[in-house]
Amino acid sequence: MTSFTIKINGKTHGPTEVRDDLSMNDYLREYLGMTGTKFGCGAAQCLACAVIVDDPDGTSRTSPTCVVPAIAFNGQSIRTVEGHAKDGELSELQRAFVTHFSFQCGYCTAGFVNEGQVLLERLAKQPIARGDLDKTIQDSLNGHICRCTGYVKYHEAIRDVVLANDQRYLTKA
Amino acid sequence: MNLLVARIAAVGLAFAAVPAVAVEVVAGSLTAPASFAGIADATARSAALFNEAAKVMTHPRCVNCHPVGDRPFQGDSAANRPHQPPVVRGPDGFGAATMRCASCHQKANFDPGRMPGHEHWHLAPASMAWQGKTPGQICQQVKDPARNGNRTIAQVVEHMSHDTLVGWAWAPGVGRTPAPGTQAEFAALLDAWVATGAACPAS
Amino acid sequence: MSVTRREFVKLVTSSGIVLSLSRLSDAAEPTFRTRETLPGSAAFNPSAMGKGRVDGMAKVTGAKLYASDFRAADLPGWPAATSHALLLRANDATRRYEGLDLSKLEPGMRPTVVVTEADVKRAGIRVPDFYKGDLFCPVGTTPIYLGQPVALLIFETFDAYDRARVVLRDNPPYKFGATTGPAVLPPYGSNRFTRVAGATAEAPDVFSPLLAGWASPIGYKKAEIPLWAQAKQRGNTNARATFYGEEIRAELAKADPRTLVLDRNFTTQSIDPMFLEPESGIAWYDAGKKALEIVIGVQSPGEAGETLADLFGEARGAFKPAQINAHFAYIGGGFGGRDHTPLPMYVALAAMFYPGHAVRLAHDRYQQFQGGIKRHAFKMRTVMSFDRASGKMRAMAADHQLDGGGLANFSINVADVAAGSATGIYDVPKADITTVAVHSRGVTAGSMRGYGTLQAMTALEVLVDEAATQLKIDPIELRRRNALPTNGRTNFGNTYEGVVRTPEILDKLEAHAIWRDRAAEKGKASSGWAVGTGVACVTKDFGTGADCTLARVEIAPDGTISIDSDVVEMGTAIGTALANRAAYSLGAVSTRVSVARTDAYDALGLVKSYDPYTITQAQQDVAARNPRWVPEISSPSSASVGAHIGTHGANEAARILFRYGLWPAALDLWGLAHSDPRAQQWAKAKWAGGKLTFPALPPLALADVAAKAHARKGVTGVMVHGFNRWAWASATFSIDGDAWTADIDALAVRRGGGEFIRLNRRAVKFPPTVFNRFSTAYTAAAGSLVRVEIERATGNLRIAKAYTVVECGSVLVPEAVEGQMEGAFAMAVGYTLLENLPLYEDGPGNGRWNLGQYVLARASDVPAGTLDTEILPPLRPDDHPKGMAEVVMIPVVPAILAAINDAIGKRFDTLPVTPSMLKGATA
Repeated sequence: MTSFTIKINGKTHGPTEVRDDLSMNDYLREYLGMTGTKFGCGAAQCLACAVIVDDPDGTSRTSPTCVVPAIAFNGQSIRTVEGHAKDGELSELQRAFVTHFSFQCGYCTAGFVNEGQVLLERLAKQPIARGDLDKTIQDSLNGHICRCTGYVKYHEAIRDVVLANDQRYLTKA
Repeated sequence: MNLLVARIAAVGLAFAAVPAVAVEVVAGSLTAPASFAGIADATARSAALFNEAAKVMTHPRCVNCHPVGDRPFQGDSAANRPHQPPVVRGPDGFGAATMRCASCHQKANFDPGRMPGHEHWHLAPASMAWQGKTPGQICQQVKDPARNGNRTIAQVVEHMSHDTLVGWAWAPGVGRTPAPGTQAEFAALLDAWVATGAACPAS
Repeated sequence: MSVTRREFVKLVTSSGIVLSLSRLSDAAEPTFRTRETLPGSAAFNPSAMGKGRVDGMAKVTGAKLYASDFRAADLPGWPAATSHALLLRANDATRRYEGLDLSKLEPGMRPTVVVTEADVKRAGIRVPDFYKGDLFCPVGTTPIYLGQPVALLIFETFDAYDRARVVLRDNPPYKFGATTGPAVLPPYGSNRFTRVAGATAEAPDVFSPLLAGWASPIGYKKAEIPLWAQAKQRGNTNARATFYGEEIRAELAKADPRTLVLDRNFTTQSIDPMFLEPESGIAWYDAGKKALEIVIGVQSPGEAGETLADLFGEARGAFKPAQINAHFAYIGGGFGGRDHTPLPMYVALAAMFYPGHAVRLAHDRYQQFQGGIKRHAFKMRTVMSFDRASGKMRAMAADHQLDGGGLANFSINVADVAAGSATGIYDVPKADITTVAVHSRGVTAGSMRGYGTLQAMTALEVLVDEAATQLKIDPIELRRRNALPTNGRTNFGNTYEGVVRTPEILDKLEAHAIWRDRAAEKGKASSGWAVGTGVACVTKDFGTGADCTLARVEIAPDGTISIDSDVVEMGTAIGTALANRAAYSLGAVSTRVSVARTDAYDALGLVKSYDPYTITQAQQDVAARNPRWVPEISSPSSASVGAHIGTHGANEAARILFRYGLWPAALDLWGLAHSDPRAQQWAKAKWAGGKLTFPALPPLALADVAAKAHARKGVTGVMVHGFNRWAWASATFSIDGDAWTADIDALAVRRGGGEFIRLNRRAVKFPPTVFNRFSTAYTAAAGSLVRVEIERATGNLRIAKAYTVVECGSVLVPEAVEGQMEGAFAMAVGYTLLENLPLYEDGPGNGRWNLGQYVLARASDVPAGTLDTEILPPLRPDDHPKGMAEVVMIPVVPAILAAINDAIGKRFDTLPVTPSMLKGATA
């Protein structure tokens, strides 16, 4: 058992004692009841379980939760799918996923929301050329499995968010 | 008796009636340097010692992350499969910006999730690709400063003998076959190889 | 937990258990049902803007929606804590099972309850026929398949369960004794479908399954080879089928220089549906009230409820609930694999053996691979003859063998549907198809997208592509010459409903740039690469021949519309389709859509008897005299029925709601007497911008019309049932003095704020029982073009460009259809090139399979921009929507194989085609 504190969507949880062999996914789903983060494979293959980790250096990244112990997140700040909409207002990316019919069954959606959001935030800091955009989106989605959609409408939604604000995300041609 | 049952196999064997499936994995052993004393010619002995040590270097635990190309491999057999999800070495060997090795591979193995881990989990440089190579080719590679990161042989041996990421190959976690022998036995073979002139096998 | 009367269905099963698929009462915190009713009246409703789906908001914010999201604490009235169950499954089916050794479990990780076969026998729990076989492998016997359950372990706490799960996963606790070899059990079934057409297209068939019935074998040899009756031209169905079948085979065997005969084998692999949410459920047995509460996510809610009632129907007192309340959740993917799945039975058992506790049973992915329904592996031999001069198909014989795995499940149905597709889009005057579904020690195979037709039509299209090469006829032209025309007869002897549109599909394929540019692209291949283009065209049945629709559509005084339907949302946007289809009549998109609801229709008072597939005409005629009788009440959401069947009820209900609720209200608002001639011209009214318009009359806002309908006590709610056996049952009802005839067989209406009242039907017409001899009458066609690039040195294959065109009648949600086409394309790429499960000891039944080893198409395998999609417009604006979730996957597979052949000159006859196979072929 290890004492553990974590900030999730801005709210601090803990310190609390958890088993060293408890996965972060089970901490979220079984201990906190935060089931927006899904369990798909338990093997870091589908990333339905991915959350955003906000590192102290100001950068953010996604991390699976199924193959990572909860205590590995001790002291960290994370965001989950439940944390994107503010006061019932969807984020720009969430809205794009809805209006593009990006998902079908929706079970992979939390992972795509988090991955897409991290990508947008990274591009805002490090814009890329228009010509690299599709490859960059594809690379960022490639760790995620979606069995329903063929990924196309996720890809297009992210691309449209970028292109709608190309000053922010893309370098000047 | 040249088979050594790994730690996790011992757990499995506690069940007398358990079938030989599931996670029981059996590691090979390494022959101690002393056993090579009978080879009179020092160069031949040196090459033979390297050959024995190469059982480790050609083992899936090592080759999987010494791939030809930019994508590591996975699995426990000679016909290993490309790593899923499809990751690449990236500029620093620690993965691309969108998928860093450390996203999944934490500081240590996490057996409940069957996830191997180490603090410095990353790919060997492309110049040190061992996949599909013979012991002789690997030997030349290891000795070549242009390919081994400009290291002396002593530095290379030190790395292989004591680096803890290398050492992970002998404690790879549930469901993965460890490299043969122990890291100490491996180090002893490399020391003996250097002491006999660090000769490379012909093939 | 109070249940209001209106929200309660009183379906007393033959066992005496009340199967009350009830909705939980509203409480301060969100109830299960309010969570599952989308988008919710106050929420952002993307579908109302025509942009998005009714479940969009919930899914993109991570709302609790799926069965796997619910714990006891989320369910009002349930116990506070959740216990957890672990279903242990055999990892050996060749040795005698001798029990469990749980000694590896330390204190703190030990189960509170262990349930075995002996326990369920003692409790008098019986196995429903469909799942015939032991619920758990009895000690002392050899498991009949890999992955057969051996015990259910129930743990008080999550921590105990979680720790035990890992220990037992890594140290399988099964004791096995003597080697017996795998169990040998008889095949699940076998049929023969033989048709000999008349001399001309107009002449009646000489022999067909429709005319003579489906033939079956008189026995088996070597436990899997059907023995057919002795041939007799004037014998029974079986003897005549053999007679004509042998005649066809003799013709194919005869050397004739004027015909090309191809005799080809094709084998397909086992795969996993790999829906992303592993199966799970949570249940609680309230022993005081003798009520079993269960939350699950399946494609077949009605079936699941009835199965549970059957399971406990003869159980001893403590194990026999008086009432089962089943709650059905959204599901994280289905693809057929959640239709008639055994898992709900084990969820229910967990609750019954730990009364008073809420128990959750959830597969992890290893367990889902080990225990989930698989796609059938097929072995097929196809012999087909073509007239060399004309390219016309003359005759065909095919033999299919399906590996059904451990339990029967849908194996024989899959075999029969595969046989029905064996002639594809073609007009084959003589066809003799035999099929046998065998038991094996593999994991149980059942329903999955394509349902046998994927396998059979892949084999056929690969053969047709080769025939085109050998006949030196363009592959699209060869297909055109042989395409079954409208009103042409299938190999079962029936015709398809409606216009057969394959010629248009073929035209589209021929005109597309991928096809036009195929030679040029081949010529442009870079060094070390081979480029090739392939085509295929198929048609796929939708429906099962006993499909039902249940719907309830209501309008509130403020004009908000609510819809309940028994159709299940698997991701296909069926909820949005319901809303859109009802909006045609009601002028606005529903703000409240509740799917997977088999309750909510108690006012209809439906009863059933007999199996709808085997009922005789005489039985049906007598039963139909009871105005509440229907052949089936609720059917699974499978077989691509969503658009056609699933939305039909809502459409019919909406039409009645308009005609007898909104229209008379509008007449009042316009001040038109009901005797005014315009009162009968309701069909001329149109909705535009949320207003009801009629020539020369002022537009009326929906809310005003709805308020008036309530005020004048007009029809404000309509509840219907429909039944389809390759045609809709129809009946006439008296409403407001009118005779209303429609494709429904039960109707109840509500007036103003009143209760639903059932209206007696008259002149009911159920489709004749002989329609059960059809393979299908409903079909949608699709074609694909694929261009591949193969790196010779590595065998790596890249899909450079692809195109799929489909005809699916009226499109309810265009983006959803496109999304299905894109998803099916990815699934087809996986099936052709990536996915593979060994059948037995090395396969998923050993409990060690997960993603990673099992490879699916990822974004980089199907890059955005690769696939062009096209949907043919409906022939008429009122064309009914057609099922298309399955058909769009199928042509992609043979098109990739044809493209590979075009690139490297190798016709593969087994799946998947891996880089090493390609590398070997290019060497």
